[in-house]
Amino acid sequence: MTDLNRRHILGLAATAGLASTFLSTLSAFADEKELVIGGSIPLTGVFAFAGVAIEAGISDFVKIANEAGGVAGRKLRLAYEDTAYKVDQSVAVFNKLTTQNDIHLYYGDSTGFAKTINEELNRRGSILMAGASFGSELNNPEKYPFQFMAGPDYVEMIAILLEYIAKQQKGAKIVFVNSDTEFGRDPIEASVKRAKEMGLDVVGQIVTPPTAVDVSTEILKLRRANPDFTIFHGYVLAPLPEFLSQAKQLGLKSRFMGTFWSMDNSLWANVGAPADGYMGVMPYRYYYDTAPDAPILEKIRKLRPTYQATGYMQGFLTAMLMTEAAKRTLEAGKALDAKNLKASLNTIKDFDTGGIIGVPISIPGNSVPVGRIYSYSAAEKQMKPASDWISLKK
Amino acid sequence: MDWLFFAEVTLAGLGSGALLALTALAFVLIYKATRVINLAVGEILMLGGYLFFAFSAGFGLPVWAAIPLAIAGGGVVGALVERALIRPMLGETPISVFMVTVGLGSVLMGAVELVWNTDPRALPDFMGATPVFIGEAYVSRKIAIGFGVAGVVITLFLLLFRFWRGGVALRATASDQAAAYSCGINVPGVFSLAWIVACATAAGAGILVGAIGGISPTMGVFGLSALVVVIIGGLDSVLGALVGGLLIGLVEAWAGTFLGGEFKLVTTFSLLIAGLMIRPYGLFGTVEIERL
Repeated sequence: MTDLNRRHILGLAATAGLASTFLSTLSAFADEKELVIGGSIPLTGVFAFAGVAIEAGISDFVKIANEAGGVAGRKLRLAYEDTAYKVDQSVAVFNKLTTQNDIHLYYGDSTGFAKTINEELNRRGSILMAGASFGSELNNPEKYPFQFMAGPDYVEMIAILLEYIAKQQKGAKIVFVNSDTEFGRDPIEASVKRAKEMGLDVVGQIVTPPTAVDVSTEILKLRRANPDFTIFHGYVLAPLPEFLSQAKQLGLKSRFMGTFWSMDNSLWANVGAPADGYMGVMPYRYYYDTAPDAPILEKIRKLRPTYQATGYMQGFLTAMLMTEAAKRTLEAGKALDAKNLKASLNTIKDFDTGGIIGVPISIPGNSVPVGRIYSYSAAEKQMKPASDWISLKK
Repeated sequence: MDWLFFAEVTLAGLGSGALLALTALAFVLIYKATRVINLAVGEILMLGGYLFFAFSAGFGLPVWAAIPLAIAGGGVVGALVERALIRPMLGETPISVFMVTVGLGSVLMGAVELVWNTDPRALPDFMGATPVFIGEAYVSRKIAIGFGVAGVVITLFLLLFRFWRGGVALRATASDQAAAYSCGINVPGVFSLAWIVACATAAGAGILVGAIGGISPTMGVFGLSALVVVIIGGLDSVLGALVGGLLIGLVEAWAGTFLGGEFKLVTTFSLLIAGLMIRPYGLFGTVEIERL
């Protein structure tokens, strides 16, 4: 057996280092015709249900785009790792992937990660980023010049709900219920102000702790406020079914509404009768929508015959918009840097998403302020459109 | 002051406190017998919820069969964990065993994600929807049932520890392992029993918690709230788990209602710090005196 002394080990380490540098140089040459989308994606942890769907959506878009010849002669590739929805892990994944790959497009998993990494994005000036966050703070092109979101931010989502409510019932009484998290708190202050400006009566604000299971005391507050509409934000599913169930037990007349991440069809499917009538804002069409102007959904259904969650549509559209920005940049003969990519993204005007969004979209800033109200039908086990598409005017 | 509202909030607090107490019981049973703080209690609770989901929604079994099967499943997991992971660690430092339970929690969470995927789910409703009124005061039906179950289970354990031979053996083991050995008590058997019963209890709590808040691979965080309860009540006291649970439940309900939901956790953890400063072994915990 060979004895390894310190000199041997150092020699081996140096050789391994040189070899890996050589191999990565070779790989960089090999990747020259690639367009890599990097991803810090939460495949485990509290946001895993969305992360798994997002990964599937981006992967399918990459597959479809490559089958159609790629982007300006380049093949798309998704390079991602699990983050467990932890900011430090997301940053570690970002550093690792951007070291190993030539990345100009990146998908981040949270508002926290986006806020943490944006200074680095600004410093590098080479990456355009989007992600799972619709945080309103990120919808600021001056502060976050290389960031965007494939939908309305959380304040805009609630503004869409408020527009719907104002049309349904003038002066309606509203209660906001939010989780005590960055996600939950995001739109509340601005939304209360907006509701008042629209002549709606905000009769209560209820905050639930992040780990809340039982919401009996919150229901008691809701009962006394007796609103016409209750708007939830900062939740995926729990504790909304318990809210709805107890509210029905008490005979409350309020209609319950939520924002994008609590609007997945499959999540509500096994809640049963209490879910009936739950409403919310959705920036995208559902997987099962057979509208004639949605050919891409038909293609998705052929690719995946079973229902795909809302996160799938979000991932798919985000990849589509990122790629469109890259395509416009490359076709204009410009360098793939963050400034050019963002400028190209902002040239997107009346863009057809293949029917994922039911109206042509434009991205003048960092968001796509469009959505539609859907309502859950327990009998049909489906979210059904309750309004036309609503585009917010600035 | 709206006294009816106050009464309703108080009842809701007691109800959710009882759920915390039931989960805290799982910590207490294991710690009492083995001096191990099992941080995987939350994940075993989560597994209990998923086992019930599998038996009721997956295999279509009636609730009366799915509940005992899920509880038994929790017990089997407890037995396996004790025999395969904990017993080989006997004699190791408490921090090593503690870390094993931390790892166990991650493994259970990963296993659930692999089997049932990461989507949050709602359990089939088995508690009914008719509201409960005590006088004019409203109580959520699920919370009322949870309170009843927790009350019965904790009373049962208090009686078992007092009168049953196995319970007395567990108390003896907790008091002095060497003396228990010399009296002919099967100490490893007591360890196994404690793990089995504690994990079965946690699985049962998981069914109740899941019925109220739904199930997801991350619902184990509920176990951390129960850890606060046992620290306040006393890590080795069944009565402490009950009193601590009800106290935390009440404080959270009052703080959440009269100060705002954002103050619930702040108040709870302030209480924890104050409690530890005044009674480091908890309200009913055994005061350990180390003599050099």
